[in-house]
Amino acid sequence: MPIAADYLRTVSLFQDLDHAGLSTLGGLLVPKKAPAGAVIFRESDESDALYLVEAGEVVISKHVQGPVDVVLITFGGGDFFGEMGLFDAAPRSATAQAKADSLLWRLDRKAFMHILSDHPEIAAKICYRLVSVFIERLRSTNEQAREAIRWGLEATGYSPAANRALFDRKST
Amino acid sequence: MSDQAKLQLLTRSHDDSGFEIFEVDSSQAYSGFKPQRSPATEWELRRQPLAVDGTRNFVLNNLRQDRYLLLNSKEHFLWEQFDGRNSLEEIARAFHLEHGAFDYSIIRELLAKLYHAGLIEGHRTLAPLSNFVTPKERSPAHRLGRMLDAWRHFALRTRDADRYCSTTYRRGGFVLFHPLTFWTVVGLAGVALAAAFQLAGHSMDFARLLSARPYMSTGVMLITLLAASMLHVLVHALACKAHGRRVREIGFFLLQGVLPTFYTDVTDIFMSNRRARLMVDLAGPMVEVLFGSLAMLSAYLSGPGIEQALLFGVGVLLWESALINLYPFSFLELDGYNILADLLAMPMLRKQALALIPNLTQRLRNIRTIQRAEMIQIAYLALCLISVIAYVVLHLDAISALLPFEWR
Repeated sequence: MPIAADYLRTVSLFQDLDHAGLSTLGGLLVPKKAPAGAVIFRESDESDALYLVEAGEVVISKHVQGPVDVVLITFGGGDFFGEMGLFDAAPRSATAQAKADSLLWRLDRKAFMHILSDHPEIAAKICYRLVSVFIERLRSTNEQAREAIRWGLEATGYSPAANRALFDRKST
Repeated sequence: MSDQAKLQLLTRSHDDSGFEIFEVDSSQAYSGFKPQRSPATEWELRRQPLAVDGTRNFVLNNLRQDRYLLLNSKEHFLWEQFDGRNSLEEIARAFHLEHGAFDYSIIRELLAKLYHAGLIEGHRTLAPLSNFVTPKERSPAHRLGRMLDAWRHFALRTRDADRYCSTTYRRGGFVLFHPLTFWTVVGLAGVALAAAFQLAGHSMDFARLLSARPYMSTGVMLITLLAASMLHVLVHALACKAHGRRVREIGFFLLQGVLPTFYTDVTDIFMSNRRARLMVDLAGPMVEVLFGSLAMLSAYLSGPGIEQALLFGVGVLLWESALINLYPFSFLELDGYNILADLLAMPMLRKQALALIPNLTQRLRNIRTIQRAEMIQIAYLALCLISVIAYVVLHLDAISALLPFEWR
């Protein structure tokens, strides 16, 4: 199944690429259909690819305790995830699961390494966009961490909550 | 087993000149944290009557620190769980099973309230973060907000009120709460009302006499109001003692930040029953009813002249004061409002109603989803608004008299 160039242009990661660059890249992407509920990868799985979402929704979550995961983010058409897998062989840091029937495109690390070595100008443009996305997602993670810490601090009495009003009755 | 991970918290000094770093257990440890309420000897819990909206509140009193909290039924359920044996995770699960809801913020907010009220054991004070100043808190708008807050909370008070009131109650104050006293006041008021009708025909003469001596008339009225207001508050406090509850303080403050008045803090009456609260609410206005009636009867028995006019004026003033106090729909927490809140068993009615205002139009658009409690709150707001408008319209002549001549 060939990937449509029109779709690739909507992916922010590739917005700096010209037609030739998109064609080169398109030949390296592998389609993957994920029905609703299907696990695309699990936390601590081997990490070896990035995924583009053409259609559907994918939930990224991290295990907390027992059957409970915390949802980190939900991706839809034009988004991508698993970008750490392009550079880092360390296990996956979160689980990706299709929330609705989804059509994904997979870019393997080996294919990305091929771009790096054979098409450095394309690789540079992709990497520049990737760094921007890393920064944006890191900021979002910091916010989530702050919220979680605030919860813990208030729940254990280290920090006052907004609503501390005591009850009283003043008769006039 | 490895040690729990630690978080390092940087806390800035109030003037931002320095900081300290504190180390606390990591957030991952919190789900295993087991909140422990204070020993049972240090607090008192009182179940409140069922409210008209079907909910029930509880009042929790920290006996050691003299702090009170109002808990709703969900918060009460959680309070019961904070026995030091259940972890936050287990409590959240039990809460979910009991109420079918999974809102962790209720647990967090209740715990924060309980820490603030000194009702949870096992942790140091909030000192490390209490001095934390964010850039927002340094802004002029925030400072103005704090000044307004300080204005709203301005009060002159005596902390020894309970001792004074106990002594006064023992040395004769108890007589005020004998049923005979109540019926005597009611009888007196009935006779005084008949006298007022007799004197009403001379009211224009009284007004002329009083306006001929404006300073004396105003002085007498002000002193009368001041004295009645002080006695009013004292009788509220003595009624609280009549039910064996504590008077926390007596003082002078700005009611809702606008109306300067004397007050007595009778929060402890919530540890008694609804009848006791209603008696405390009603006891104060009885002062104005009694002295207004005495003034009216004295006017009736006096000969024509300034003395009679003054007594008639004082009688009307005190009766009107009692009526205003007993009227519940004025946006102010006067005695009438307290009576209404006690009858409905909704002690936070006014605050809840005011909190509705920002989203009122949106709520009214979805009128079918409005709960019973919200209906009552909206009705309260509507009646307050109508009352205030009616009051202003009825007093337009007095208001226009305050304006510059060319504006009238």
